[in-house]
Amino acid sequence: MQDHKQLRREIIEKTKEYYQARFAHSVFEEGRSKVNYAGRVFDEQEIVNAVEASLDFWLTEGRFSEEFAEKIADFLGVDNVLLTNSGSSANLLAFSALTSEKLGDKRLKPGDEVISVAAGFPATVTPIIQYGLVPVFVDVDINTYNIDIEQAEKAITSKTRCIFIAHTLGNPFNLDAIMELANKHNLWVIEDNCDAFGSKYKGKYTGTFGHLSTISFYPAHHITTGEGGAIITNNPLLAQLVRAFRDWGRDCYCMGGENNTCGKRFSQQFGNLPFGYDHKYVYSEIGFNLKMTDIQAAIGVAQMDKLELFCEKRKENFKKHYAIFSKYPQFFSLPTATEGSDPAWFAFIVTVKENTRFNRDEITRHLNSKLIETRNLFAGNMTKQPAFVDKNWRIADNLNVTDNIMNNTFFLGTYPGLTDEMFTYEERVLDEYIAGL
Amino acid sequence: MSIVKKYKAEVIAIDSFIDGVYTLTLAPEKGRFRYSPGQFLHLAIDTEYDGASQWPNSRCFSLQTSPDETYAKITYAVNGEFTHQMENAIKPGSEVWVKLPYGELFDQEHSRSHTVFISGGTGITPYLSLFTDSSFAEYQKPVLYAGFRSRIFNLYSNELRRAATINRNLVENYIYQDTDGILNIDDIFAENGVYASYFISGPPVMIKSFKKALILKGVDEKNILTDDWE
Repeated sequence: MQDHKQLRREIIEKTKEYYQARFAHSVFEEGRSKVNYAGRVFDEQEIVNAVEASLDFWLTEGRFSEEFAEKIADFLGVDNVLLTNSGSSANLLAFSALTSEKLGDKRLKPGDEVISVAAGFPATVTPIIQYGLVPVFVDVDINTYNIDIEQAEKAITSKTRCIFIAHTLGNPFNLDAIMELANKHNLWVIEDNCDAFGSKYKGKYTGTFGHLSTISFYPAHHITTGEGGAIITNNPLLAQLVRAFRDWGRDCYCMGGENNTCGKRFSQQFGNLPFGYDHKYVYSEIGFNLKMTDIQAAIGVAQMDKLELFCEKRKENFKKHYAIFSKYPQFFSLPTATEGSDPAWFAFIVTVKENTRFNRDEITRHLNSKLIETRNLFAGNMTKQPAFVDKNWRIADNLNVTDNIMNNTFFLGTYPGLTDEMFTYEERVLDEYIAGL
Repeated sequence: MSIVKKYKAEVIAIDSFIDGVYTLTLAPEKGRFRYSPGQFLHLAIDTEYDGASQWPNSRCFSLQTSPDETYAKITYAVNGEFTHQMENAIKPGSEVWVKLPYGELFDQEHSRSHTVFISGGTGITPYLSLFTDSSFAEYQKPVLYAGFRSRIFNLYSNELRRAATINRNLVENYIYQDTDGILNIDDIFAENGVYASYFISGPPVMIKSFKKALILKGVDEKNILTDDWE
């Protein structure tokens, strides 16, 4: 029988060869290759790690999950990182944790109001509705695409208990103002940091200001594990609650394959169970099972080593788009970084000015016909989406800017896979379009 | 509570002033140990373990040093198969793997205005990590009742001297079984009353009986915090 360690070494070497043969060399051909808005960027290490995890065949949370969470914690300088299977699950878990009875009077209850925005991705809002609370939609600022602080303050009532908003496309919202509002009114803050992993506000990473924050590792995001996400908190009780909701609602925090890490597995009293009932099967929350697998985490471990580089590349790509679109100020409103921030841009967002000779749909159709991918700002105005139309929400004042975004805004990618040739092509396509008007 | 991490550590000192009781001083190979006072670690002695494969069999031990220290100390008494293995396998200079932090003893809500710390034997160790930490200064009326078999089992004079300098309000009560008898929960309650927060750490039987007694005397169960391992 062959030595399994030797076989493993051979498999890893072959994996590296495979990467070189399959992925290492790609050529951009104008008009034939797509300029994607996003995509996974990786080298042999991601595939090697995935193969290593497959050969471990541990499958569920294991050594790579530990390492991945540690790397994220070290990067952000935070105490707790809970991995999950998507950014949307991260949002659901962060919100779920705040509904726990263990939080006493501070827990979120059905009927409470949560400040959010309608110009965003539904996963920021759906947990609010799923738990029977009321999203209160505040309009956004057209320059930063983030929440309008003045309107947010006016939206707060005696029912308001939480602020749950995203750093739109990597651009941090005004964290000073939001945290001040939260402190003043004793509100929870969840930062949806899914599009902003690596962005900074006043020198500190976004995702480290709120009580909880979330990250997404979907391939469009700053790093990827395929599907995947994480919840961040420095609050030990919230970390415990997130873990419980993620892991079936169970009270025990041992990882898969571990036993009795608390040292009191058979000697505690819970609910009406007999004394000493196995802690592994004690359920203190109505939970889910939303854990990440070790194979996903293995890819994340390799991606974390590239995060800083990826963020720098995103910032450079943003500047390249800016240089191209800023030639036409009569047609386009361009984005502004929030004061004091250093965004690791998820995308380059553009709003077509009203009363120009073309509209958003016309130019995005043209760009897409030239294989330059664009996207709208997600749901546009969430209140107009079919799933949300008849749900229980409230508009704080008006959503005029949100409607403008729904009608006139689109974005292009800033992901690190974009090359100079692609930008040259994009510039020519745009110049020709404008010249042909 | 910081994220749980694995650390390769060197045993830089082993102190044993009593047969079968050892204090290990551990230094991480890289970085610093991150934990809060009152937390504990898991220690593995599997020589095959390389830090990459799945975590091997391990046992938990209270961290008895302040998180500010560059090293961590744990104390164990040889009383089972794992600790027998530790006694045989761990020598000065040995490398071990530890995983930490675990536990939430002092992260739980409790009163800092009047706090009672009751320990039996090595049950004092989680308190030492708090007593030697700067955060201990926040406690207004900390009272310690530490029971030991005899004076020689009180191995913690250095830490307790330091505790007294960090918090001058600390009241220390030592009960030595060979001369004073055992800790008496009725006396402790009589001196501290119903509104104090009570921490209890030590043998499971002691924890269980003291907790029950305090509840019967009207202490709110939320104010009784225990560090009870199996």
